Amino acid sequence: CTTRYRNHGYTPSDAQLAQIAVGVDTRESVAEAVGTPTSAGVLNGSGYYYVSSRFRLYGALEPQEVEREVLAITFDPAGRVENIERFGLEDGAVVPLSRRVTSDNVRDTTLIRQLVGAVGNYDAGALLGEP
Amino acid sequence: QSFRFDTVQVTGNQRIEPATILSYAGITRGEAVSAGALNDAAQQLRQTGLFESVDVVPQGNTLTIDVTEWPTINRISFEGNSRIDDEELAEVTGSIERRVYSPEQAEIDTAAIVQAYAERGRIDTVVMPSIIRRADNRVDLVFDIAEGGVTEIERISFVGNRSFGERRLRAVLATRQAGLLRQIIQSDTLVEDRLTFDRQLLVDFYNSRGFPDARVDSVDASLTRERDAYLITFNVTEGPRYRIGNVSVVSDYAGVDPNTFAGAAQLRGGRYYSPSNIDDDIARMERLAIREGVDFLRVDPEITRNPRDLTLDVTYHLRRGERVFVERIDIEGNNTTLDRVIRNQFRTVEGDPFNPRAIRESAERVRALGYFGDASVNTQPGSQPDTVVIDVDVEEAPTGSLSFGANFSSDDGVALVAGLQERNFLGRGQTLGFDISTSRSNRIFSFDFAEPNFLGRDLRAGFSLDYRSTKSDEDRSRLYDTDTFRISPSFAFPVSENGRLSLYVATEYNNITDVDDDASQVIKNEAEDAGEWTQSIGYTYTFDTRRTGINPTSGVLLRFGQEFGIGDRQFVQTSALASAERRVLGEEVTLRATVEGAHLYYNEGSSRVTDRYFLGSRIMRGFQSGGIGPRDADTDDALGGNTYAVARLESEFPLGLPEQYQISGGAFLDYGSVWDVGETYDADVLYNDYTPRAVVGVSLFWTTPLGPLRFNFTEALMSEDKDETRGFDLTIQSQF
Amino acid sequence: CGPDTDLSPGALDGYSAEEIYQRGEYELERNQPDDAALYFGEIERLYPYSDWAKRGLIMQAFAYHRDRDYENSRAAAQRYVDFYPADEDAAYAQYLLALSYYDQIDDVGRDQGLTFQALQALRVVIEQYPDTDYAQSATLKFDLAFDHLAAKEMEIGRYYLRRGHYAAAVNRFRTVVEDFQTTSHTPEALHRLVESYLSLGLTDEASTAGAILGFNYRSTEWYEDSYALLTGQGLRAEVSGDNWLASIYRQVVRGEWI
Repeated sequence: CTTRYRNHGYTPSDAQLAQIAVGVDTRESVAEAVGTPTSAGVLNGSGYYYVSSRFRLYGALEPQEVEREVLAITFDPAGRVENIERFGLEDGAVVPLSRRVTSDNVRDTTLIRQLVGAVGNYDAGALLGEP
Repeated sequence: QSFRFDTVQVTGNQRIEPATILSYAGITRGEAVSAGALNDAAQQLRQTGLFESVDVVPQGNTLTIDVTEWPTINRISFEGNSRIDDEELAEVTGSIERRVYSPEQAEIDTAAIVQAYAERGRIDTVVMPSIIRRADNRVDLVFDIAEGGVTEIERISFVGNRSFGERRLRAVLATRQAGLLRQIIQSDTLVEDRLTFDRQLLVDFYNSRGFPDARVDSVDASLTRERDAYLITFNVTEGPRYRIGNVSVVSDYAGVDPNTFAGAAQLRGGRYYSPSNIDDDIARMERLAIREGVDFLRVDPEITRNPRDLTLDVTYHLRRGERVFVERIDIEGNNTTLDRVIRNQFRTVEGDPFNPRAIRESAERVRALGYFGDASVNTQPGSQPDTVVIDVDVEEAPTGSLSFGANFSSDDGVALVAGLQERNFLGRGQTLGFDISTSRSNRIFSFDFAEPNFLGRDLRAGFSLDYRSTKSDEDRSRLYDTDTFRISPSFAFPVSENGRLSLYVATEYNNITDVDDDASQVIKNEAEDAGEWTQSIGYTYTFDTRRTGINPTSGVLLRFGQEFGIGDRQFVQTSALASAERRVLGEEVTLRATVEGAHLYYNEGSSRVTDRYFLGSRIMRGFQSGGIGPRDADTDDALGGNTYAVARLESEFPLGLPEQYQISGGAFLDYGSVWDVGETYDADVLYNDYTPRAVVGVSLFWTTPLGPLRFNFTEALMSEDKDETRGFDLTIQSQF
Repeated sequence: CGPDTDLSPGALDGYSAEEIYQRGEYELERNQPDDAALYFGEIERLYPYSDWAKRGLIMQAFAYHRDRDYENSRAAAQRYVDFYPADEDAAYAQYLLALSYYDQIDDVGRDQGLTFQALQALRVVIEQYPDTDYAQSATLKFDLAFDHLAAKEMEIGRYYLRRGHYAAAVNRFRTVVEDFQTTSHTPEALHRLVESYLSLGLTDEASTAGAILGFNYRSTEWYEDSYALLTGQGLRAEVSGDNWLASIYRQVVRGEWI
């Protein structure tokens, strides 16, 4: 079977990055020049992160991330651009995800409730005895 | 100047309490109040719409608020209406029982009722509102309606039409000349907005046939002397007729190669110009952009006219659209379906560039799930100037049926049935179904389960278990019983953009028992060592571009599968299906051509009647089950065939009935046969070689609350004398 | 509903408002809330804006609510609040209005749109009638509905985290940390942020998130997991891997699939 690729996210090209001057540009002018960041840090003083990745899909296998580019623009306390760094796929760690989930105390549709919901409505397949 | 009141008096109110009036007026005792505040109070009271008149009169330190209340409506009734019933009129009118009566609202309602009648062509209807006083300041509101006669259209004529005749143009319009069926068809009455709609229809008709400058200068409707009918004339200027010159694709988007997109432009020089072809090309290029991963692509068609040789050159400019991102995808209305089942249909992830066509494709996939009555996807502005939020609003529909009772099948009569079919089990997108059905001639027990996103991947894991036993019955010349039992787990996954592969293993037991002694010799021999288990593995490859393909109005379905018997019964069962469909004539008529066939080859052992094919009505219409194919000459037993090949030409088209009946028509031609019984045990077998049958028929599609039904009326053109034909057949309209 | 409930138009014209009101209450005792609601409605039609009509209206809202007919209950409660805003029962009417959204959340657990409307209606009760006892129970229900919204954000965040779309996951978990700090989901959101940032290779953001988690929620298991991740020792056995058969059972039969 053929391998298919899917691109996600967005990182500005070098040409666009050239417009940003370290120590001059602020958060607004950066967003203006290269677009709203894909994501940001936890605290409000933190940096802008542009993430783009390319997934490879092959048959029944889980989509696999084959390329990733993370562009981090950090700002100094005065809000000026301090540093522009690039991270690749290799900088990311493979993190085992915790399977614990905080309960959302919302009752899931129980089997009985769905059955009761289904009583009485006929679907033509049953009625017409499709072999 | 300002006042200070220590007592506030409310007079003239009959039922509304002073406390309520005071709270609306916003004035409390003992508080300094300016003249302006008094005026505001009066204004607020008037705005509540509860009072006919409001006066706020300061006298020294007491303030009197004198009001006269509007009466409330006790009951609303419509007199003299026969063409439009009360409910419909109630929806149009704004006055509501138990609420306040206001004369302006009554006037608005009267105009609304007159408009409702005008829309049905009764333009000289007269409506009079009147009030009947009731005790305790209540009134009954009555609308007296005098319905006028219908003004029909006698003749529609055209001026300035050189390229198309009056009959052809009249067919384009929504308004019809009053013909024989004037009572049934409503569209022969004169209605203003339908005429403006007609003008647009005419212009579109001309535009899509090479007349970019066509316009309708004026439409004049003159009344006949007896004032009971209209004569309508459309004055049309066609303008010159253009053909397409040369078509080219130019890329102003750095890094995008125009040649990859040139293939998607199927517009060819020489054909008449039509805007819809250009839109189709743009749609194909936008879909290709998704495949190629090109973001923010915008295709701008630039048309240059060459008046000398009446051709238009079309240049598609590939430009970089403005940079917009998807901030969030919010899903609402899903009260049983889990969020992930819907979100799975979106290939766009939050933070991705926004591509409208990709979102439209995702909306299509959500609707194709079949769990929702309605699934609307639209975009709202996001928190940043260059972001949007995708709003998905679904309305759940019942996806399960729990049935006890009986069903009728044209193949084998009435069957007692108990079963659960659930297409969206517990909202996880899983399908679960079990069926028990016993009828005169066969018993079925089946269980099936499928998880579409096994292990969180695009991998459909399925399991099915199926037991089927048929009893011998005299009138259908089957003089033996059969038992078949099959268990089959399967896995299906995508192998390419439009291709999916399904792998499965199956173990099957089938047996032929108590064969009647005057049954066919073939069956007797096969029954001797019939009770046996066979194991098999198989695959089916499906290539389907009907919904996901580049071309919006046509698509292809190819399916090829093989099942290999392993162990002591070695067989190879190959089945193939190729179908192409295309929507034409403004996408209303669907044409579909299908070729389907299968071949069963045994190198160890030989096929039995339980393995061979019997062409049910799903594959070839117009015959009883087992009505055609190899047949024992002296015992008339249908023996089934190892090979079948059938071609089906079908078309589906609207019947012009109003939309709400959901009835459409179809016509079809089936041609083909089933043959080759294999081992004949030197019995005399008729039709054992390829003897083609042909059937022509018409069908009626009716989407009922029970499901899409299909009524087939068939006539066999070519059939053999011992075939068992069938003129009528009722089945589910299946999407294979 | 009962043989003697004759609700044809005009049948009750002869009765006084009080008699119809009592008849409505009688129907409520007989556990026929839908009939009771119709009786209370008739009072309003026959004796509009009278005192009995006012009480009938609030009882109508209550009866429809008991009958789980939330649309009508909402309409009646809304009408009461419009006509008698200053009345002492207005607080109860506004509360009934909020309940009509809130009680549907249990039926429609998944639907986010309804939870939002419940929050807005509950906020009106808390702000406009602060000293009534309805405000207390409205506050409690407000927190629960708020928790539902946070749960929805977490559910979507985990969806993207599980599929490797870390930036999208970070945005969802950040929304929980910023807009839903008071809910029970914040510690998990912070841990998920640690997981997502580490996966992206943004180690300093990960340690910031871990620090906030440690500072506010040191005693939670989430902090222990984050600490393990940040110090590179890997997760405790019970939480991370299990054999593939157990994971198939968990995902296909139980429907958990993180």
